Formats: sequence, C-alpha cells, structure tokens
Amino acid sequence: MIGNREFLYALAFLIVIGVLAVVGLPGNILNLFIFMMIIALAAQGWNLLGGYGGLSSFGHAAFFGTGAYTTAILQTNFGFNAWVGLVCGVAFGSIVGAVIGFLSFRAGLRGSYFALITLAFAEVLRVLANSWSVTGGAAGMLVRLQNGFTYLQFSDRRYFLLILIAFVAATLFLTRWLERSAFGAYLVALRENDQAAQALGVDVFRIKMQAITLSAGVTALAGCLYVQNFLFIDANVAYGSWISIEALFAAIVGGAGTIIGPLIGSVVLLGLGELTKSFAGGIAGIDLVVFGVILVLCVAFAPNGIRGFFSDLAHKRANRMDAA
Amino acid sequence: MKTLMNAVSRRNVLKAGGAAATMLAAPGLVRAQAPTVKIGLLQPITGAFAGDGDLARIGAEYAIKEINDAGGIKALGGARLELLIGDSRSNAEAGAQATEQLKADGASIVIGGFASGIAMTATQAAARYELPFIIDSAVSDALMTRNLKNVFRMNPSFSMAADVALKNLVTLNDAAGKPAKTVAIVHEDGLLGSGLAKLMQERLPKLGLQVIETISHPTPARDMSNVVLRLRSLQPDLIIPSHYFNEFVLFARTLQQQRVKPKAGIYALFGGAASSYKFVSEFPEAAEGVMDVNHWGDPKNPVNDKLMETVKAAGKFYAYNAPINYSVVKVAAQALEFAKSKESGAIIEALSKNEFDSGVMPYGKSKFDATGQNVNAIPLNTQVQGGQIKVIYPDQFAQSKPKFPANG
Repeated sequence: MIGNREFLYALAFLIVIGVLAVVGLPGNILNLFIFMMIIALAAQGWNLLGGYGGLSSFGHAAFFGTGAYTTAILQTNFGFNAWVGLVCGVAFGSIVGAVIGFLSFRAGLRGSYFALITLAFAEVLRVLANSWSVTGGAAGMLVRLQNGFTYLQFSDRRYFLLILIAFVAATLFLTRWLERSAFGAYLVALRENDQAAQALGVDVFRIKMQAITLSAGVTALAGCLYVQNFLFIDANVAYGSWISIEALFAAIVGGAGTIIGPLIGSVVLLGLGELTKSFAGGIAGIDLVVFGVILVLCVAFAPNGIRGFFSDLAHKRANRMDAA
Repeated sequence: MKTLMNAVSRRNVLKAGGAAATMLAAPGLVRAQAPTVKIGLLQPITGAFAGDGDLARIGAEYAIKEINDAGGIKALGGARLELLIGDSRSNAEAGAQATEQLKADGASIVIGGFASGIAMTATQAAARYELPFIIDSAVSDALMTRNLKNVFRMNPSFSMAADVALKNLVTLNDAAGKPAKTVAIVHEDGLLGSGLAKLMQERLPKLGLQVIETISHPTPARDMSNVVLRLRSLQPDLIIPSHYFNEFVLFARTLQQQRVKPKAGIYALFGGAASSYKFVSEFPEAAEGVMDVNHWGDPKNPVNDKLMETVKAAGKFYAYNAPINYSVVKVAAQALEFAKSKESGAIIEALSKNEFDSGVMPYGKSKFDATGQNVNAIPLNTQVQGGQIKVIYPDQFAQSKPKFPANG
C-alpha cells in the first residue's frame, strides 16, 4: 500500500514538473530540472542494483559513459539517428554491465570488494577512452547541434525535459514492477542474506546478473540523454567518478531500495544547492557547502534516506496515536 | 502566549514587512537611475581551477572599474558596466548551468570559459539564446568549428600557438648554432598534453629535431622520479613538457633534485607553471631558465604593470588569466560602443564586423574571422631569468635577450 502511494506521489511530482515546463519556466530552472532528471535516471539505475540488490557499486560511470560514448560515436562517425543511437547506447551499457557482473560475481565478489572492482572497471574505461582515437581521445567528442525530433535535440528544451520525465516515469514503473515481481523478491532476499537465499533455491548468480544488466541499461540511458543535452563528452565527464558518486548519493540520500528515493535524492541534492546559490549568490561554493551539510544530516539522522526518515516519523506518530 | 500573539498583530507584521521590503528595494531604486549593462564572467571560482578563476576575476574587475570611471559606455548614455560572476565549479555541466544563470540574471554578454571542456558546454548553452560569448583562454581547435554565430575567441587556438612555438624554437636554435638536436616530450595524458605530443612528434623531425622519447603521465601525478630517471639516461638536449600547474612544479623540482639539466633547457607550450609567478617565487632554482610559450600580457604596456600590482595587492601571484580577462572586458565594452545597444544580435554583429583594441594583450588590433577566432592573437615566448618572467620573443615585446641554450 505504501509502495503504491509513494509511486503515485512520484508520478504526481513528475506531472507537476511537466505542467510547469509546459506553462513556462525560465531557462536556468529548466536547465536545472533537466540535469535533475538525468541524475535521477542514473540514480534509479544504481538503485536497482545497489538499493534492492544490496550490491553497492562505485563504478556506475562505466555504464553511464558507455551509453554516452555509444550514442555520440554512432551519431557523429556513422550518421545514425539519435534514437537508434540511444537504443544502442542502452544495449551496449547493458552488455558492459553484464561483462563486469559476470567477472565480479563469478569471482564471488561482494560488499566493499564489489564496490572497488566496479570503481576499477570505470577507471580502466576512462583511461582507454582518454587515449583511443575512436572516442576522440583526450579531446572528447562533439555531437553536432541539429534541432529536430530525429536528432533528439530541440530548440525549445521543454520537449527534451518532457522526454526525460517520460523516461524517469518509465523507470518508476520498472521499479514498481520489480518490487512486485518474484525477481524483485529474490533480489531483496539476496540483499538481506544471500547464503540463506541460495539455500532456499534462489539462483543467486543469475539474479545478480539480471540486476546488474538492468541497472546498467538504465544508467546508460542517463548517459545517452546527457550527451543529447550537453552535446559534448570527454573521458572525464563520461567515465569520471563524479557520476558514480552523484548516482550513489542521490539514491542513498533519497532512500535506497525504494521507488521514490532516487528522485527525492536528486531533487533535494541539486535543488537545495541551486536554491541556496540563488539566495546567497555572492558566496562562492555555498551550494557545495549545502550539499555537504545535507549529506552529514542524512548520515546522522536519516540512515535510511529522506524517504525512510519521513516514513519512520509517520510510523512513530501512528504508534503514538495507537498508544493514546 | 496569548499576550505575545496579541502584540504581534497582523497589522504590525504587515507594517514591518512593508518597511523591510522598502529598505530592501531601496538600493535597486537608486541604481535604476543610471542605466547598466551586465557582463557575465564565467570562471571556475571553486574546484580544481579556482586559482585561475580568482585571477580572471581580478583582471575583469579592474577593467570594469576603469571603464566605469571613464564614464561608462558612451553610446548607451554613459551606461555603467556591472560584472556578474558565474561559477563553473571547474566542470562542464556546472559551466552550462552557470551560463544559464547569467542569462537569467540579465547578462548582455558572457566572457570567460577558461578550460576547453567548460567553454564547450557553456558556449553551447549561450548559443540557445544567441547570447554573445567571448572565450578568454580555452585553446581547443574544436571550439571554433561548430558554426556557433554567438561565440568568439580572444586567445590563439592550440594550432595557432603551436605554429608560433615551433617557429620561434627553430629561430632560437638556429641563432644559437643549433645546440638542440634531440628532444624528449613529457606530457599529461589529457587534451592539452596529448594534442601537443602528437603535433610535436609530427612536426619536430621535419624541423631537424629528433624526438628520442615521448613519456605520458596521468593528471594528477604523485611522483615524477621514473620519468626523470628515464630522461637522465637518455640525455636529451631539450625537454618539451606539457602539464598543468602542479605536475609542472613536481616535474621541474624532480629534475632539479636529480640534477638533470638538459643542455638547451626546458621549452614548454602552455606550460602550466612556467608562466606563473607562484612557481617562480616558490621554487626559483627549479624555475630558472625555463622557457614557455603562453598567453601573456604585453610587458611594454603600463596597464600591465598596474594589473600586476593589483594582483599582488590582492595577495595572489600574477598569471595570464588577469591580463586576458581584463582585455576581453575591454573588447566587450568596445563591442557595446559599436553596437549602440545591449541587444544580443547587435553585439554579435558588432563583434563580427569591427576591429578592437586588444587591452593589454599583444594582439595589435583584435579581429574575429567568420568562425569567431581572433586572427591576430599570438602567444609570447617567456623565460624565467633571475627570478623574473621575461618576454624573450617576438622582438617588439621582448624585455630581455633569450638565454639559449639555457644550461649551455
């Protein structure tokens, strides 16, 4: 029931942003929402593996970057339609996820070892992309500015935001399906105790492989959309640790392993930072200070994320009412 | 509790609120009397390049003050310039977001960008509004190949600077009786270093210089011992490095510690530290004799000296960011004079069609071609001599004769 209500809240929030965008938003706010949605998508990807499966990855940049580079290369070097590039980007991202998953899970890596190996994979890809001519080496890649639906670039960026919202909503549906499916139940089971899950007959390797492939695909989608918005990518942007951290922070701060968590996390982390900047414009780096404070507060008072904090509050109030 | 609620009545709250609003609005009302034009300065105020952003701000503020003190923009009825600062946080996405913010805050023109990756996304964001954007020091050739009508670049591109660097190296070497025959290239593996290494490997052999080794390293690098040991065994006549500030300092210090002194010296192109007084004053022995080809203010322009003093008074070390941003603001102001308007279209047209005084940069008249590149932009050759960064080439800007070979 709670899952259902939270799903509806998330959808309602997206609809509100969509309506605001249609009614008209200033460029800087529109830009902020676009970036927020890209991060929310990456965080939703991370959440599928790290939140539900308990497999905390520090290297989701590997998938984000692969999606980004795939769509950029296909468009600029081979003249592909941006939408085809997007589908291929997601597919390649998933394949990279499957390969990393295969190597890590075959070796039985869990916990901090899994986190470190994913970080290492992302770093290897960064070094490769930085020196390989196909990815433009250190100079990076430019996607040509061409407005039109087939190019997935719009002179009126409200359309782009609406497409992003649609993708974030689709991922919400995906997460909701996951929560209700047997696959999701197996995933949560192995998060809680994978040996017990295995003893009960869950094919742990297969479930983990499916989870990382799905997670990588969603994060790669975020990478593809990032390129379509900024039209430039280099190795440090694509495979840099920043995106791994943003994806992980947004999911954890919002509430890992929940439908709405990644969305809350990205909105709060990016939104509050930007809001502070506009109120205290003269102070350099104030938004980064706010970012840090939110993290500290979350770790100290909301270990289950913002969503967990509010549901705990609601529980406490309900208990008090029952007691009275 | 009840008494307090009564005391703070709705009427009182409204009165106080009204008074507060009037007080807050007052500076705006006063300002509204003089017309203003807002110039956005996009620089890394936080993050890895924050030091560069600081210097750029000092340069830009100095120019704004000069212009306002001289009566503002005359074609716009003495409109005063107001500087808006956009923090790119040293990364590309924040650069785009800060540009959007500058537009929202009413900037008529944006200057800066600093690094190529940031300039790439920031100019793209500005292009959506046809907001004129003058790049200060980003060098990537790709920046000006995108056919964006709103984008102009004050500084020389990478290939323009590399041409000058090679030409001047050959001139220096020939004049000294060709002491440099073998060259080792040491570069960071990013855009700047890799691009330089590729170009040098192609062009140096044709100019009679043999490249005996090319060594790359990541940024940040923690240790340069192995790189220097390799150089020690190879004994190149000349070392051509390309790093950012910290790596250059580490490299130069390690060379000094290991007593590796290439005969002809160190000749850098856009050497991160070689044109920075921070490096020169902190490690004078390691810096002595190092040559660099970089953006640099015209040393014979007295305003450049004043800028140096201003930077020093702010407790910072002078580097090229200050003069170049000073000069870009000057160009923007001239464009406003030509345009006689603060509308984007008029400013872009003015920038495309006119020639501009280049402030303190040694560019003569700045003129932007069809791609937006300043065709007269050149880098200067500098050398650290006696703890000072001296311009040694070209002759009309030279403060001192080159010491080449530096360790001969």
